[in-house]
Amino acid sequence: MYKCKKVMAVVLTAGLASAFLMGCSQETTKTTTQPDGTVTIDFWAAPNPPQQKYWQQMADEFAKENPKVKVNVSPMPESPSSEAGIQAALAGGSAPTISENISRGFAAQLSDSKALVPLDTLSDWGEIIKNRQMNNTISSWKFADNHQYVLPIYSNAMLFAWRIDMLKQLGYNEPPKTYGDVMALGKKLKDKYPDKYVWANPDLTDPTWWKRWFDFFMLYDAASNGNKFIEGNKLTADDTSGVKTLTFLQDLGKNNLLLTNQSTDPFEKGTSVWTTIGPWTFSTWKEKYPELKFNESYVLSPPPVPDGMSTENVKTFSDTKGLVIYAQAAPEKQKAAMQFIKWVYSKPEHDQKWLEITNLPPARDDMNTNDSFKSYLSQHPELQPFAASIPNGVPPVDNAKFNDLQTTIGKQAVNPVVTGKSDPAAAWNAMKKELQGALK
Amino acid sequence: MSRREHRVLGWLFTSPYLLYSLVFFLIPLCWAMYLAFSDWNLISPVYNMVGLGNFKKALENPGVRSAFWVTYKFMAFFVPIVVTGSLLVSLLVNSLPRYKSLFLVGYFLPYLASGVATSLVVKGVLSYNSPLNEWLRGSWNLTIDWLGSPVSALLIVAVIIAWKFIGYYSLILTSGLESIPTEVYEAAAIDGVTGWSRFWRITLPMLYPALFTVLILSAGVTFGIFTEVYILTKGGPDNATNTWQMEIFTQAFSKLDAGYGSAIAILASVVTFASIYVIRKLMEKWGDRYGWE
Repeated sequence: MYKCKKVMAVVLTAGLASAFLMGCSQETTKTTTQPDGTVTIDFWAAPNPPQQKYWQQMADEFAKENPKVKVNVSPMPESPSSEAGIQAALAGGSAPTISENISRGFAAQLSDSKALVPLDTLSDWGEIIKNRQMNNTISSWKFADNHQYVLPIYSNAMLFAWRIDMLKQLGYNEPPKTYGDVMALGKKLKDKYPDKYVWANPDLTDPTWWKRWFDFFMLYDAASNGNKFIEGNKLTADDTSGVKTLTFLQDLGKNNLLLTNQSTDPFEKGTSVWTTIGPWTFSTWKEKYPELKFNESYVLSPPPVPDGMSTENVKTFSDTKGLVIYAQAAPEKQKAAMQFIKWVYSKPEHDQKWLEITNLPPARDDMNTNDSFKSYLSQHPELQPFAASIPNGVPPVDNAKFNDLQTTIGKQAVNPVVTGKSDPAAAWNAMKKELQGALK
Repeated sequence: MSRREHRVLGWLFTSPYLLYSLVFFLIPLCWAMYLAFSDWNLISPVYNMVGLGNFKKALENPGVRSAFWVTYKFMAFFVPIVVTGSLLVSLLVNSLPRYKSLFLVGYFLPYLASGVATSLVVKGVLSYNSPLNEWLRGSWNLTIDWLGSPVSALLIVAVIIAWKFIGYYSLILTSGLESIPTEVYEAAAIDGVTGWSRFWRITLPMLYPALFTVLILSAGVTFGIFTEVYILTKGGPDNATNTWQMEIFTQAFSKLDAGYGSAIAILASVVTFASIYVIRKLMEKWGDRYGWE
C-alpha cells in the first residue's frame, strides 16, 4: 500500500510537470485568425537597434493601412547565436512567421530541412521583385532546387579602409592596389614606425567559420575575379588565385606586417593602417572616434589584387542577408506575411528609410540610379564606395554545410599559413582535400 | 498530524524541487541521451538514429581529444593556484585580530563578478596597444602575445578563474581553521612545535575536511569552464584552451549539430564523473594517513 502511494505521488508529480510543459508548448496550435478576422504575424528583426527601429516603424505604418494584419516585431533571440535561437524556436515549434538577418548558407541549411516556405510559390512574389527593381539581384539567390527561399534585404560589398593620414606621411596619396604595392608600403611603414603594422587582425588565427567572410573571401574573390568557390556540391575554387591569396597573407606575416595579437581598435588608434570595413562601422566611429573623417583620416578601397591583374571593377565578398517565411506558420499567416512584405517593398521610400536608419545598401538593381538614394548618398560620401561596389559583390557560399566548409578553410589554409606552420601550396591542397571529402 | 498527512506535507514541500529537477534536469538529460544517438539538427523533419556513430565520431575528433587533455592541463595550473591562494588568504584573515568578516566579504566579491565583464577587462589589459604592453615595449623592448601562446593563454584563463574562486574557497578554509581547537596548538607549543612545523603537522592535517571540499570543488570547476575561454581565446590558439564546454558549444550551437553535441556532452559528463571519483579516492587515501575517515 505504502509503495503504491509512493508510485502514485511520483506519477502525480510527473503528470503535473507534463501538463505544465504541454501548456508551454502549444502556442503554435492556437487559432491564427481572431474572430474579427485579424491575423497576427510575428516578425523577428536582427538583434541590433537600428534594424529593430526600422521594422517597428514599418509595422506601425502598415497597421494604419491594413488593420486586419497585425505585425509583432521583436528582436530575434541571440543566445548563444541568432542561428541557434532560430534552431531552438523551430525545434520547440515556436518559430516566428518571418525573420530577417538570414544568410544564404543558413538559408540553405534551413531549406534542406524543409523549414522554409519557397517564396516563389506564394502569390505576389513576382510583383514584389518587379516593384523593388531586383530582377538581377535575385537571380543569384536561386537555390539548388530552383526555388527562392530568401528575399535579400541588403547587399553589402565589403571594402577595406586605409589610414590615408598615415599613408600621406609615407608619401602615398592613394591606397595600394596590388599585393606588391601593399608589401612596398609595409616596408616604408616599418622603416618609419617599427611598432605599427599594415593589418592588425587576430581573426586570421581563429578558425571560426564566419571570420573567413572578412579576410579570405574578400581577398580570394578579388584575386579570382569573382570565381565561385563552391557550386552546389562541387568545389570550384581556382587554384592559382587561392594560392596567391594565401601567399599574400603569408608574406604579410613573414615581413612582420601582420599583427595577430589581440588589440583594441588598432585601426582607429593608428596601430595599423588597413582594416576590413562595413557601413555599420560609421555609426560606431561617430560615437567613439569622431576625429576619423572620410578622405581626411581614412579612405575606402576594394581589396588589393595579385600583381599584374586589372585594378578596375575589383570583386569582393558581399555580406548579404535577407528575410524568410517559416514553414511552421499557418497558411493564413504566410499569406499575411507576403502582404506585409509586398507593402514594405512597394515603395522605394521604404528602402530609402532603411538606408538612412541602418546605413546598409538595399539589395536593389537601381541603387546607384534611383533618385531616392542619390540624394542621401550625396550627403553621406562615405557610403558611396559601398553603393558603387554592389555590382562587384560576390555572395557567400550557399551550401548547407557552410559552417564546416568555412571552418576547414580557416583550419587547413588561412590559420596555418598566417602562423607560418604551412606553406601556401601545401595548405591549399590540404584544404581542398578536406573540402572535397566534406562535400561528398 | 497523522502519518498520512505528514507524508502528504513532505511531498508538498519537496515538490517544487522535484518539479524543478524534472523539468530542468531529468527531462533535458533524457532528451540529450536520445539526441546523442541521432543525427537530428533539431530542424529537419527527417532524421536517423545512428547508434554509436556520434560517439565514434567524437572520439576521432581532434577538438574532443584536445578538450580532454586541455581540462587536465588546466587542472594542473588552476587547482594549485586556487588552493594555495585561498589557503594563504584564509591563514592571513584568520590571523587578524579584528574585522575578519569584512576582509572575507572583500575577497568574496570577485566570485560575484560577471565572467564576461572580467574577461573583457583582461582582454583590454592584455591587448597589443594597452598601456601595459606599450610600457613593456617602451621600457624593455618586450612584445608578448599573451593570448596567442598556448601556455600563457591557458595560464591566464586559470589565473582569472582562480581570482574569482579564491575568495569563495577561503571562506570554506577559514571556517575549517576556526574549527581547529586552540588546545591542540597549545599542547603542540608545549612540545616545542612552532612555525612551519606547526603548519605542516597540525594545521594542514586538521584542515583536511575543508581542503577535501575545496579540492573536489576546484577540480569540478575545470570541467565547466566556458565564459572566459569563449571571450578571450575561443578555444585557441590551436585548440590550446578548447575546453569540454567550448567544444560542446561549437558543435551544438555554432555548427548546429545537436545530436553530435549531445554525444560530446555525455562523454564529458562520463569523464568528469570518473575524474572526480579518482580525485576523491586519492584524497580519501591522503586523509586516511591522518586518521580522517
